[in-house]
Amino acid sequence: MSKQLQQDRRSFLTEHLTRITGMSLGSLAAVDLLLRDRVLAQPNEKTPILPAIDPANPNKARGSHFEPKAKQVLMIFCAGACSHLDTFDYKPSLIENHDRPMPGSEKLITFQGGQGTLQKSPWEFRPRGQSGKMISDLVGNLGNLADQMCFVHSLTGKTNTHGPGENFMNTGFTLDGFPSIGAWTSYALGSENENLPAYVAIPDPRGVPQSSGNCWNPGFLPAAFQGTDFNAAAPIRNLAKPEGVSDQTDRKTREFLTRLNQHHLDRYPGDSELAARISSFQLAARMQLSVPEVSDLSSETAQTLAQYGADQKGTPVLETKAAYARNCILARRLIEQGVRFVQLFNGAYQVGGEGTSNWDGHKILKDQYTNHGEIFDQPTAALLKDLKQRGLLENTLVVWCTEFGRMPTFQAGAKGRDHNPAGFTAWLAGAGVKAPYSYGATDEFGYKAVEKIATVYDFHATILHLLGLDHERLSYYHNGIQRRLTDVHGHVIHEIIKQS
Amino acid sequence: MENLPLTPPIVPMQPRQSQIRYLPAIGITLVCLLCKASLLASVAYTQVPIQSSQPAIDFERDIAPIFDEHCTQCHGPSKQTADLRLDLRSAILKGASSGPILDIQHTEKSRLIQVITGQDPDYQMPPEGERLSEDQIDKIRVWIQQGANGPDDSKLLEKPLPWSFRPIEDPWPQASDSSGQFPGLGPIDQWIQAQLDQKQLHLSETAERPTLIRRLFLVALGVPPTPEEVSTFCNDESFDAYEKLVDRTLADPRYGERLARHWFDVIRFAESNGFETNRVRYNAWPFRDFVIQALNQDMPYSEFVKKQIAGDALGEDLATGFLVAGTYDIVKSPDVNLTLMQRQDELADLINTTGTAFLGLTLGCARCHDHKFDPISQKDFYSLQAIYAGVNFGDRNLPSDSTPEKTQRLTQIANEVRSLQKEIEKIEAQAQALAQSKNLRPAVSAKLNEESFEPIIAKSVRLTILASGNSQPCIDEWEVFDTQDNNVALASIGSTAKASGCLEGYAIHKIEHINDGKTGNSNSWISNQSDAGWIQIDFKEPKPITRMRWGRDRSEQYKDRTPTRYTIEALVESDQWKPIASHVGRMTLAAQGSDGLVELLDPDQRSQYQAFKEKSKSLISEEKTLTQGSSVWLGTFSAPPTIHRLYRGDPLMKREVVSPALVASLDGQEFAEDTPEQSRRVALANWIGDPKNPLTPRVIANRLWQFTFGTGIVDTPSDFGANGTLPTHPELLDWLSQRLIEHDWSLKNLHRSMLTSQAFRQSSKPNPQGLSIDADSRLLWRFPPRRLEAEAIRDSMLIASGVIDYRMGGPGFYLQRVEQDNVYRYFPKEKVGPAEYRRMVYLTRIRQEQDPVFGAFDCPSGNQVVPKRPRSNTPLQSLNLFNSPFVMQQAELFAERLNRLANSDVDQQIRMSFHILFARDPDAQEIELSKEMIRDQGLVQYCRAILNASEFLFIF
Repeated sequence: MSKQLQQDRRSFLTEHLTRITGMSLGSLAAVDLLLRDRVLAQPNEKTPILPAIDPANPNKARGSHFEPKAKQVLMIFCAGACSHLDTFDYKPSLIENHDRPMPGSEKLITFQGGQGTLQKSPWEFRPRGQSGKMISDLVGNLGNLADQMCFVHSLTGKTNTHGPGENFMNTGFTLDGFPSIGAWTSYALGSENENLPAYVAIPDPRGVPQSSGNCWNPGFLPAAFQGTDFNAAAPIRNLAKPEGVSDQTDRKTREFLTRLNQHHLDRYPGDSELAARISSFQLAARMQLSVPEVSDLSSETAQTLAQYGADQKGTPVLETKAAYARNCILARRLIEQGVRFVQLFNGAYQVGGEGTSNWDGHKILKDQYTNHGEIFDQPTAALLKDLKQRGLLENTLVVWCTEFGRMPTFQAGAKGRDHNPAGFTAWLAGAGVKAPYSYGATDEFGYKAVEKIATVYDFHATILHLLGLDHERLSYYHNGIQRRLTDVHGHVIHEIIKQS
Repeated sequence: MENLPLTPPIVPMQPRQSQIRYLPAIGITLVCLLCKASLLASVAYTQVPIQSSQPAIDFERDIAPIFDEHCTQCHGPSKQTADLRLDLRSAILKGASSGPILDIQHTEKSRLIQVITGQDPDYQMPPEGERLSEDQIDKIRVWIQQGANGPDDSKLLEKPLPWSFRPIEDPWPQASDSSGQFPGLGPIDQWIQAQLDQKQLHLSETAERPTLIRRLFLVALGVPPTPEEVSTFCNDESFDAYEKLVDRTLADPRYGERLARHWFDVIRFAESNGFETNRVRYNAWPFRDFVIQALNQDMPYSEFVKKQIAGDALGEDLATGFLVAGTYDIVKSPDVNLTLMQRQDELADLINTTGTAFLGLTLGCARCHDHKFDPISQKDFYSLQAIYAGVNFGDRNLPSDSTPEKTQRLTQIANEVRSLQKEIEKIEAQAQALAQSKNLRPAVSAKLNEESFEPIIAKSVRLTILASGNSQPCIDEWEVFDTQDNNVALASIGSTAKASGCLEGYAIHKIEHINDGKTGNSNSWISNQSDAGWIQIDFKEPKPITRMRWGRDRSEQYKDRTPTRYTIEALVESDQWKPIASHVGRMTLAAQGSDGLVELLDPDQRSQYQAFKEKSKSLISEEKTLTQGSSVWLGTFSAPPTIHRLYRGDPLMKREVVSPALVASLDGQEFAEDTPEQSRRVALANWIGDPKNPLTPRVIANRLWQFTFGTGIVDTPSDFGANGTLPTHPELLDWLSQRLIEHDWSLKNLHRSMLTSQAFRQSSKPNPQGLSIDADSRLLWRFPPRRLEAEAIRDSMLIASGVIDYRMGGPGFYLQRVEQDNVYRYFPKEKVGPAEYRRMVYLTRIRQEQDPVFGAFDCPSGNQVVPKRPRSNTPLQSLNLFNSPFVMQQAELFAERLNRLANSDVDQQIRMSFHILFARDPDAQEIELSKEMIRDQGLVQYCRAILNASEFLFIF
């Protein structure tokens, strides 16, 4: 057991034993404590490490299990299943065998049915950066940053339908109702900046992703650890004082309330839950100042706006792009302010037919992806560059992912690709990961992961590991089980971690 | 199988194999069975060389699946021929009745290898069926050579029965009131005091009456008492004033509403499908009403249980809403793997919910393997699956029966709908007038749009779309009328349609549908471009036209893809295109799906209009339900398919057939494979509802305790297994369970005994001794204060402001605006009104979509069971309560009410507000503070603050 771990344990126990009263989160932890004792009695099993949560300030920063390589995470999620074959997974054989049947595909039934022929990407691939990584023109701006990226080309999923797929990538379970990876992270670590939410989810300008709140909900974790969803266009609800109330009135009202509560607390001396409510009001007041500040992009220079594409307009696509670009700037500002986990979405629920509002290119891939690439590529690349330039990648892990991949074939009778969880790509950048680096591979056509196959569990275990968290020990008792992000699976992909 | 020892036992112990350290205990016999083997070995011995480069074999990944495929049917969790189990590594090491089966030093001498390789022609395993492949045998060899490593699963072998499986005893407490303070304590308090004695603590003095009535109301009804109720109770001098109050409370219909909400958490009831389509279940509410009514009528708990599982056989169809209360993925695919997995997930979720809700057993944990902690085998799981395998998600048609109440209600509804309709028309007329005065045409409607123009002779007409909300536009029918009002666009009279392009791959979306005389999404055209595209109709010969109609979906199912900006031109004799109509002059569509003209009205009128529409819609739906008996979300039943045990819960890895059966370790019997569907569920229901089942009464008695005191006697209320926590007061729990059974499973009777106990009546004031010894008040030296749940806070606010609508039952209300498409979308309502003033238990709860104010208060999403809500405390909660339009609105209404009640007498206003919110008088300091606040900032701000007071949000 590492020294740090021992310390964590000790502080955990002290905290629990000396707490004056442990209601709310405290009482939950007390249950966990009892359970842990029982689990401890069992040999050869990794015991849970329970975060020491201060009920008055549940998102106060806490130590990790071991020395972390990354302190913050920016997770960029492309909703609708972004095709690896048209972006980051270059397959010469697919080009050579263009329009020929894929061997063995005659009887292959995927999500929407049978297969047409193999289809090369409509976009050209070319070598990028010093590493010469082959990346398509659809994401050319991102491609130019290839040297900063660590690709995992051998990811595999468990489902080929969007809702469960988005659940799986964001919560580790295909079913609804499990805590998202960001909720696990804020549960484990709290946040460095108490004046902002520990965990922010930034929905696409076109709407929430297909699994909606599942992607940032706390599941069975306490609501304190849920993602707060807002974006550059729609601020946090109920953050601002009510319309028509002056600053002074608002302040006086708050003061009156505090005195009333304090007076009441005097009659319940030592009741920490009541004291906690008073302090969370103070936190809320600070948040009211800091959130508008962080969301106000007016201080950004015209040059920055242009780099991100936030100034573009003229067509609906460009307007969406500009709005997404503003979300990217917001993401950078949040990371800058120390928010622990930022989740940035590109693509929304299905509206206007499949593939129009997200990456679900079943029928007319070329037309749809032309728009999606336009919206996604430049702003995201600008974000990555900006983070790097400001030195934020030192401590921030950037994760790009999607729910699953797409088929190397077109669907029978259509010009788009069907769902494919058998092999797809994600990339990481920033704190703690090797770059440029490519891990694992799909087969010659990009249909199935064949080399160093990685599961979503492995992917999650690795992200937690980079944050200094043991995915087998970060758990929470729910309904008979010490639940984990990685269920009972997952192996850290050590090969992609930079040894410092 | 006879084996005589020929060689002395040698147990190889390699230091790195720490996992098999317990081998010596059984080691004496380890090599005993190898006699035959060693003899044979000399004949047919093929040593597999140990290669150091051999990749490490992982028991779980490489070996377990082989045994599971070939062996565990006879040597597994449910059957152990020759006392041998091959599903657990520790059992394999232990060996069979005849002795060990592994010889780690001499792999080939292992009995296991001998029988699977067929070295003994008389004794081969498996005796029939497919033999192990060479590859599989090699894997097992290497595994043995490498030391037969794997997880220490020995604890799975000996699973003692958890405490909760033992029969319920009937203990009685020894009077032990050491403090002498409470003569005549009842049994509950005696148990409590006995435990407190051990810590030198004692029950607190009785709380003051105002505190007590407020506590009782909030706990049992989820609402605060009115000032009148408080004063009646405080002035009741009879000796049993409190007991009478408890009786009145238990008889209050709000009791069922409050307790039902807890039940819905326990069984994860919500009213949408979940997953990405997340469609509303508009007809799931009758189950909600069943639960509320059953609890109000004090239906015996065993009946309540049985009916939810097999109500269709017990004359209570509505109760089976339980079976289909969970999530349901409606996205279907020709991919059979997906379909199988979806079905498996549905059934597993139902089994898990049944186990946790009724039995406090996490049965779901046995889906992939035997339960890790409790005596539930994987076979048990699939036997239960066989019981539920005929349950399907969907609507069930119920016959209607006419009753006088129903007839009366129908008349009532008809009248209400009529008067609502008048109000709606009135507002529409106002909007119309306003539009005319502004010379505006209505905004584009998804349903149908009119264009009229001066008559013109046209050869063709063309409609060009310029915008359609970021999506590819859709039009279902385009009608063009001549001066005789004949539709001349129809293909049937020779007109032809063409378009800029058409979305590929859909038979239901073709250009031909534009003028085929059929409407609706299934007969429509969709452009292949976003926000662009044109359609054109060429007439057989030039026509004098003067009017047209077009829309996106006349059946009003879909509202997306509606063209919002467009021009219409006519091709005249001179072959020139002349503009004849366009969106110009129409109102803009502020939000798609809103009712055109009404956008013009001011927000109050608009929200009133929406409220009328919704009310009317819900009445009509209620009427439909009443008259048709109708279609309710209760599930349907079909003949169950054969159920197999699934290796690791994977539907593609079927193993042996499993008959329907109940949990074996709880005396559950097995049924014939051909037992009819309904009988299976009836058997399950009867078994759970049997007073001899030790879990059912304990679990519900504990839930009621948690409901009352905030924490259960068992703090893991849906897990009474070995991984749950132990009861703090085991005898008390049994005493309560026994009383429940004795009194005909009456929950109200049991609850009465809790609510009238001193433990409940005592003060909640802290004292240093108690805090230092038992900070959580688990031992109940005081009544533990706690924050109210989201629902109780919202309900209490509506009561304070005086606008609560106590109407019970029927279709629920919505806090989100619903946009229906293939995928349903939800947008929180910005302003709520009387339609949303009902108790929150009547909210149509949409999965994943939390209410923007109350979601932050740990409101369950309805996806997973929530036997006990966390009680978070977050800045977002504070912001929601302090700033949200809802709370501001309630503050204004509360201020209005105070003005009504106390005119402008500020002292009186303050006193009234304290009575309403806190059930007490303000003290001098509070009056002083409040006066100053009202004087400087006004009554509304005062109300805003006081609705945020801790005292209002907590039970004390």
